[in-house]
Amino acid sequence: MPQRRVLIVDDALFMRNTLRDIFTGAGFAVAGEADDGVQAVNLFRDLKPDLVTMDIVMPYKSGIDATREIVQHDPNAVVIMCSALGQESLVMEAIEAGATDFIVKPFRGEDVLAVVKKVLGE
Amino acid sequence: MAHAPHKYLHAFVAEATEQLEQLASELVRIEQEVPGGALWDSIFRRVHSVKGSAATIGLSGVVAIAHAAETLIGKLKAQQAKPERTHVDLLLQATDELVQEVQHASGTAHAPRADEGAPLALAARLAEASRVLPDLPAPLPAPRIVGQKPVADPGTPRLDVAFSLSKACQAPGARSLIVQRKLKGLGVLLEMDPQPAALMQKKGGVRVTALLATTRPPDEVRAAFDGIPEVEEVEVSAAPVANAPEPAPQAAEEAGAIRAVPDTAATEETRTDATVRVRAQALDQLLDQAAEVLHGIARLREAVRTLPENAATQFEAEIDRLRRTARDLHGRVMNARLTPFSSLTERLPRAIRDLAHRLGKEVELEVQGGAVELDRTVIEALADPLTHLVRNAVDHGLETSAQRISMGKSVRGLLVLSARRERDKVLVEVSDDGAGFDGERLRQRAIDMGVLSPDKLPDVTEQQSYELAFLPGLSTRDEATELSGRGVGLDAVKAAVERLGGKIGLRSAPGKGSRFTLELPLSVSMANLLLVQVGGELYGLPMTRIVATTEYDLSARGGEGFEARSLAVMGQLVRAYSLAKLFGLPSLAPPGPRPFAVLEVDGITFALSVDRLVGQEEAVLKPLFPPIDRIKGLAGTTVLGNGRPLLVLDPRGLHELAEASQRLRGAA
Repeated sequence: MPQRRVLIVDDALFMRNTLRDIFTGAGFAVAGEADDGVQAVNLFRDLKPDLVTMDIVMPYKSGIDATREIVQHDPNAVVIMCSALGQESLVMEAIEAGATDFIVKPFRGEDVLAVVKKVLGE
Repeated sequence: MAHAPHKYLHAFVAEATEQLEQLASELVRIEQEVPGGALWDSIFRRVHSVKGSAATIGLSGVVAIAHAAETLIGKLKAQQAKPERTHVDLLLQATDELVQEVQHASGTAHAPRADEGAPLALAARLAEASRVLPDLPAPLPAPRIVGQKPVADPGTPRLDVAFSLSKACQAPGARSLIVQRKLKGLGVLLEMDPQPAALMQKKGGVRVTALLATTRPPDEVRAAFDGIPEVEEVEVSAAPVANAPEPAPQAAEEAGAIRAVPDTAATEETRTDATVRVRAQALDQLLDQAAEVLHGIARLREAVRTLPENAATQFEAEIDRLRRTARDLHGRVMNARLTPFSSLTERLPRAIRDLAHRLGKEVELEVQGGAVELDRTVIEALADPLTHLVRNAVDHGLETSAQRISMGKSVRGLLVLSARRERDKVLVEVSDDGAGFDGERLRQRAIDMGVLSPDKLPDVTEQQSYELAFLPGLSTRDEATELSGRGVGLDAVKAAVERLGGKIGLRSAPGKGSRFTLELPLSVSMANLLLVQVGGELYGLPMTRIVATTEYDLSARGGEGFEARSLAVMGQLVRAYSLAKLFGLPSLAPPGPRPFAVLEVDGITFALSVDRLVGQEEAVLKPLFPPIDRIKGLAGTTVLGNGRPLLVLDPRGLHELAEASQRLRGAA
């Protein structure tokens, strides 16, 4: 199986680093990182990753709006929302915007990978 | 802090420190800004960002303060007003405390923390400040799954789907929304309980059930859950047919010409009543058990009769009270099984529309009394007959648009379906303003078929002629149509209604239309029975069909050999049959006068001889099960107060059996 490529979107460098470690440790390639929604949409178009992890609350363009645009661009895009506890209504909004699934912060590496593998059908 | 430093702790500290510095300067500016403006968004985002990262590292103090601050900021933004100075002060204090917490975590704090409880105390103050603010609509629209009730073709198979959300699931609402979306992609999702929105902020471990209309096999639907995390114990199975009729409000709109007259009072009532979905089977079991309780009480009453009188009186009073309660319970379960008439009519508009279009007709359907409730058994048994009557009216009753115009009628034919309750009965009517039945043609047809003798013709009134349409094989049209078929099956409709213990009547006026009236019992499960004994066995006859009981001395008329004779009952000569002979049982009646039950079916009165009339009993009827449901003359079973099972007879079937044996004898 070719190496899966992931785009990590989060406005916190700390979160991006943490996610990068989780993915690279599990054999994924990090195709790119974005720290706001506008960048996320642009990078998705350029990089065509297999998977996107998407923060919800970000400057310029929220993760929900970015997800909507990404899914409009590619209906098969796999977008996993990274939400915090208490953001359920935002997650539901994101799902209606086309997000594939979600993880809830704080998360452990294995939690993230379990969801990712499940939605990728691995 | 006991735990080992996180690999990216320094990144977190640098980032959080910068965010918090910006946060402090923005908070200072907020009092000068436009209320509810963009600066609030930025403030919210910074706190939220710090919270998310801190949660991943496990800095609970930071999370507690940031979370409470975030809530307060969200509320203040929603106020769309200049924030109070005290609120800004509190948020600035929170920012300072966050900075301290972050520094402490990084090990760069100059002094050890004086008060470990400070973060929680501050979080509590922030929460209290949020609490006293009025609740305003959320700044971000919460997802709402609104819209009309989904509609599926009644012919599409239904699948019962059930699954559990894992206990660890932190967002059950979002998780079940993903499942809902998946199911919607596989067919028409008719029901989902609980709905995703209802699971928001709830704990995991919930069991969710759904009803899906789909042509896909259960295995494929089950496999679709493979890609969804946090979902367990998935069960997919074919749904029982009872779930099949689905309301079709969209179809009604689509048809345009079709409208329902709402029964406002009843609709209001349904709306305010909270409801839960209960499996029909569970209600049936409950009803069975309520009936068992009634039977048990009846047995107790029997037993008490053997006690000495002074003891019996006291018992009887108590048993009577118990019986009233049990009857009340039974009645309530029966009521819970009631289903609105609209569940029958809501699937009709589409069928009518399609049929009318194919026939070049325009039909306006009016439904009245959709909220009138009937027992589920009645509703289920009525589905086919009602569809038949409606199709029949559109096919044969109503004229084409061209015909109607030439006759000076409105272009659209009117078809009215109504239900109304009268005491313990429900009257269902199907009427149209079409051509009406042709009495002359029906009479002629009946003569041709040999069911009406020509010399009786003068006695047959116009209304009686219409009733001839219920005889098997009679059709006013010579050509059968693909849609309603030859003979239009009115005999089948009549049979179905009578099986329910109901009656059907027809009134018609040439050129003006016709009206079928179905008189139905509110519930079919309780039946008043006349208990009769034949050949040593007890049988029940429905009291609704009993006209009279009488005695007749047969020895004066030729002894036991008779199978069919005539008796004079209430000044009328009626056919008499031996129940023992019909069932091939020996008659154990002593010689002399014998009892007869006089019954009426299809307007025909006939008498049945029995060995003994035993008494009357109200019993809960249970349907026959295969293969004995194929035996003609049986209607159901029940259990008597003394625990004995009893076969309940079907007078219509008995009459047919009797007629057939007559014909056999004639042919022999």
